[in-house]
Amino acid sequence: MTGVSYLAIAPEIILTAGAVVVLMVDVFARPSARVHGWLVSTTYALVAIAIGFQWRRVGIDGAGVSFGGTLLLNHLSVTVRAILLVAAVLGTAAAWRMLVGLRRRAAEGIALVMVATVGFMLMGASADLVMTFVALEVGSIALYVLAGIMRSSPAGDEAAMKYFLLGAFASAIFIYGGALVYAATGSTNLGEIAAFLSAVHVARPAVLLIGVGLIVVGLGFKVTAAPFHSWAPDVYQGAPSGVVGFMAAVAKIGGFAALINILTGGFERYSGAWGDGLALVAAVSVILGTLLAIQQSDVRRMLAYSGVAHAGFILTGLAAGLVASSGVLFYLATYSVMLVGAFAAVTAVSGEANTGSTFEEYRGLARRSPVVAAVLATLMIAMSGMPLTTGFIGKFQVFTSAWDGGYEWLVITGLLASVAAFFFYLRLVVVMYFRGDEGEGATLVVARSIRWVLVASAGVSVVLGVFPGPLLDVLNRVGV
Amino acid sequence: MSGFSTLTALILVPVVGAVVVMLIPERRRELVRPLGVVLSLLPVPLAGGLFLAFERGEAGFQFVERAVWIEGLGVGWHLGVDGISLLLVLLTTVLVPVALAASGGIDHRVRLFIAMNLLLEAGLIGVFLSLDLFLFFVFFEAILIPMAFIIGIWGSENRIYAAVKFFLYTALGSALMLAGIIALALIHREQVGEISFSYLGMLDLDLGLNTQRWLFGAFVVAFAIKVPVFPLHTWLPDAHVEAPTAGSVLLAGVLLKLGTYGLLRFNLPLFPEATLDFVPLLATLAVVGVIYGAVVAIVQPDLKKLVAYSSVSHLGFIVLGTFALTSQSLEGSVVQMINHGLTTGALFLLVGILYERRHTKAIADFGGLASSMPVFAGMFLFIAFASIGLPGLNGFVGEFLILVGSYPTLPVYTVLSATGVILAAVYLLWAYERVFTGEITDPANRQVSDLSIGETLVFVPLVALIIVLGVYPKVALDVIGPSTDAVLERVEATTAYTAPQPGGTNVMASGGGE
Repeated sequence: MTGVSYLAIAPEIILTAGAVVVLMVDVFARPSARVHGWLVSTTYALVAIAIGFQWRRVGIDGAGVSFGGTLLLNHLSVTVRAILLVAAVLGTAAAWRMLVGLRRRAAEGIALVMVATVGFMLMGASADLVMTFVALEVGSIALYVLAGIMRSSPAGDEAAMKYFLLGAFASAIFIYGGALVYAATGSTNLGEIAAFLSAVHVARPAVLLIGVGLIVVGLGFKVTAAPFHSWAPDVYQGAPSGVVGFMAAVAKIGGFAALINILTGGFERYSGAWGDGLALVAAVSVILGTLLAIQQSDVRRMLAYSGVAHAGFILTGLAAGLVASSGVLFYLATYSVMLVGAFAAVTAVSGEANTGSTFEEYRGLARRSPVVAAVLATLMIAMSGMPLTTGFIGKFQVFTSAWDGGYEWLVITGLLASVAAFFFYLRLVVVMYFRGDEGEGATLVVARSIRWVLVASAGVSVVLGVFPGPLLDVLNRVGV
Repeated sequence: MSGFSTLTALILVPVVGAVVVMLIPERRRELVRPLGVVLSLLPVPLAGGLFLAFERGEAGFQFVERAVWIEGLGVGWHLGVDGISLLLVLLTTVLVPVALAASGGIDHRVRLFIAMNLLLEAGLIGVFLSLDLFLFFVFFEAILIPMAFIIGIWGSENRIYAAVKFFLYTALGSALMLAGIIALALIHREQVGEISFSYLGMLDLDLGLNTQRWLFGAFVVAFAIKVPVFPLHTWLPDAHVEAPTAGSVLLAGVLLKLGTYGLLRFNLPLFPEATLDFVPLLATLAVVGVIYGAVVAIVQPDLKKLVAYSSVSHLGFIVLGTFALTSQSLEGSVVQMINHGLTTGALFLLVGILYERRHTKAIADFGGLASSMPVFAGMFLFIAFASIGLPGLNGFVGEFLILVGSYPTLPVYTVLSATGVILAAVYLLWAYERVFTGEITDPANRQVSDLSIGETLVFVPLVALIIVLGVYPKVALDVIGPSTDAVLERVEATTAYTAPQPGGTNVMASGGGE
């Protein structure tokens, strides 16, 4: 199946078509928010159906490549699409009021969300370094624009500019790494690279390993692994809060999916080398992310640094190799949901456009809005990895496979960092529940779409934390 | 297995109760407290029935329930109860309604308060019943959240500091234990072929001495923080003093027992060889804890802090008994876990009632209270006697068994810690003297009302159990003995260690592993 399979890119086709329709309808009809809502829901529903068909096809025919060996259709790529779709649905709902609030530019924002999703979906399906690069750019550029979509906000402009410059830099590093790999192996296709490496003994693999290293660094930027994370806090703080959760989640999902594809698909042979490298990056991310998150006084920056630590935990699972992939995907899927939910709560508390969100704003939230406080507390508890939440199951899996893979030191590091991390996750709970008994402050009014995202994300985090079985069964079939 | 699973019900009933309480609408708020107490009483008959149906003389787990929970990870919903856990479960179910009934002073966010207490109860019972290490860890860790909420929302001035300190301290311990549990599960996969967290399966593993030492270390830190063993106790005074009365009662009454229970349930049977290596260290720390806790308690100007430090001292005895590794000392340890739960729980209730009336806990602010509140004073004296270990009351049975049982194997440690018994009399009776006897110097103490009938009723179950266990400890020992003996037999069977026989005369002579 090396020819052209439209099923292999059906979700992307539908999303792109959806984006075009949204833009065109906007040009000719000046539709209401309601019409936009219908168009978006229909598109997402069709994408979900397409993903279902893909899953079924892979189950029957097995994995395959198409479009000249550049696109994979396997359980992994379909799963990544499904995770991205969930993030997109939740993210769009969380951002809905902000997007609609753009009035004449609402369609633009909606289309950008869809295009970003297309890019990262393709990243998860790519079997060719050039394809990965193109997909990365499609997704990233849409995100740069989204970061600055509220033109009235200078902080948003700054965030967008910073994101763009550092993101472009990261892309350049990535493509330079790809060039070095091409120089060493004569191909950019992962399958051909793997075949070359298994047939030929590379006597001096320095160029190859530097190339792989640069690819990891480039993707490390996207997933906010330390020390390539420095853009994240500023962007998370400056970009409109409605879309930050979406931006953060999809970039991480796409980045990690590409990392899995590239490292296991092309460079399996050198898994010892990149395993140790990833373990090192994981340890740095976990430690640095946690320590910096402790010092933050702004919830969004705290979430950004905690995201660095979470990237480290996911890398902990990846370092251990193949066995970890279902655990890594579980982590990725459930963490994305928490992330989108947490930023939806930030939006509910600080407003769509607000550029900051200090801990002080959450004071006594349990009284002003029991639902938002309960959801945010649940999400913080889940992110901290307490049992009976998806955070615990995810961490448990990555730790188990890392321990199994001989990275005991990394597990101990991760566990100790998790304890330190309780400090800042708990801090938000403390502010919301333990302080502000004075009862001052008006009741918080929360938009319906945001309330929906809040309840869904907290519900998923708890229900799948108590009964992770079904999701684990599905992910176990991915077996890269 | 019967269709009705009592053990699962014991865990789920409080959870359902918590949900029900949270669903009471705002306009029926007057229902919250009574309904909460009633809901918290529901597990009592369940646990009582368990106690009655429990097969005496059996060492193994009874009422075992086993189901798959998370198949992909090899995790089972595996519950069972034996002589070590049965009474602790019963104690938990008794103390929660007592704590809630005594929490009349809680006047804000009552629903959340009751729900948190019920969730805490579910977690505590779950810890005692779990026969799957993953499940055990889930409960062990999950209880931190309701406890932190109870301290953090309804505690006194420094509550937030105390809640966070409590949380981080205990989470640190359990993090290392999680690494140990993961390592054990992977060893299980290596030796048996499949990943599993089953406690009974872990018992069959063949662990080298070095592995045992590491794993013992990982588990012991978690439990030693919980107990708390000196010098890991610094979270305890803060947490106890800042917690509301119900929080202190459950913290001292049950939460601390998770540590001693864990040592007895996991450290001894799973890592017997390493246990023998660690005996000198833990016995030393236990004795230091006994004396240090008592000495610090003597000089406390704050009544609640005094009771808190007395816990450090009392739990030192339990740790000593656990690592003395004789039949009586282990039995005594379990009895003492129950005793300490009853007496210290009652002491915290009394201090809480006093604080509600006088809004102070400083001993210096009281004096001569016996004339204004005679019933209260009598109750305090009674509980103090039980705590000191007056013969005829429960404390005597536990301490006596521990001291008699520990002497053959750890004579020096035992003699040293026996001073703790005397010191206990010093701090409690001296406190009694300063608070209750003499002339009333502060006029505020003249107006303090005595225990009401309702408040007295709250103490009835505790007093009854204190007397029953003191006069007729056989009810408890019959249940506990076979299970603690089984732990000892396991240590003997897997190591070169031989426990001295009762009477202590034939330490050298006995050769078998009986």
